[in-house]
Amino acid sequence: MENIEINRNVSTPYYPSVYFDASSGMCEVSGESYMEEAYKFYLPLINWIKKYTEEEKGKLTLQVKLIYFNTSTSKCLLDIFELLKKYKQQGGQIEVTWFYDKDDPDMVDEVRDFEKEADLHFNIREF
Amino acid sequence: MTWKNTPYNPAGSWKIDPETPVFTFEGPFFIDLLTMLGNYLKMMTSSHQAIQKKLFRIFVELTQNVSNYSEEYLQINQDNKKVGIGELRIAEDQNFFLLTTKNLVRARDANVLSQRCEIINQTPADQLKDLKRELRKSSAGYMLGARIGLVQARLISMNPLDYIIFEKNMDYSYFKLTVKFDKDGEY
Repeated sequence: MENIEINRNVSTPYYPSVYFDASSGMCEVSGESYMEEAYKFYLPLINWIKKYTEEEKGKLTLQVKLIYFNTSTSKCLLDIFELLKKYKQQGGQIEVTWFYDKDDPDMVDEVRDFEKEADLHFNIREF
Repeated sequence: MTWKNTPYNPAGSWKIDPETPVFTFEGPFFIDLLTMLGNYLKMMTSSHQAIQKKLFRIFVELTQNVSNYSEEYLQINQDNKKVGIGELRIAEDQNFFLLTTKNLVRARDANVLSQRCEIINQTPADQLKDLKRELRKSSAGYMLGARIGLVQARLISMNPLDYIIFEKNMDYSYFKLTVKFDKDGEY
């Protein structure tokens, strides 16, 4: 499996940085995410996770370091969490850590909403 | 969470003294242009830390609603993409910021939008959070719709959505939406 690496570009700050490492199962999404048609950006990431959980079957660690995301992105994140939940139910090992800015109470609310919605445990940490 | 007791006039705009515009824009809502305006908004509100992030969040949601759903749009030939045309206004008063968008909608959609705003305004915060989760879970990723953005605007601002519909003709109307953000210390 190949890694995914997308570096943040100052001219398109609405795309986040992404690093998915197939050898360690370490996945990180950081920055801001408010692109149009978010599903087009996130579909390859969702497919990567599907493939990793079906073929590699190792521990998958997801670190979310988004300082802002729009509601379209939130739907894509939920799709990712549903995949992780399914993997966990099948015996897979997962760990989700969500980093947030302590001066952003709405983000904390959002993360707790996600945790409830996805029915997964998140480690919630300050940046 | 409970709603703050704020004055709301469902028949019109906020009854306030004239406020100072931070900026206004009218034209196609290209994402790169909105990003530039969003950065300017962050800069202009940097002295109001608590409100800055809230404003930017809802700025993105409302402007993307205009970009995606305005009935007046530019067709970009290369990939058949449409970019909605509308108006944007950010204004500041001593005690709050106002974020306003205005765009053309079909007359029948204007009725649906006003009903949605009414429901969102009348729904308690906890139930609105449940509605947001339900909308997110039940929608296909490529058609999440404008409703979740409106719910988010109400939840984040903690103020009612202030909307007005102006009839353009039998088929089309303008939908003008204003969200009020109280300044630091009130969140």
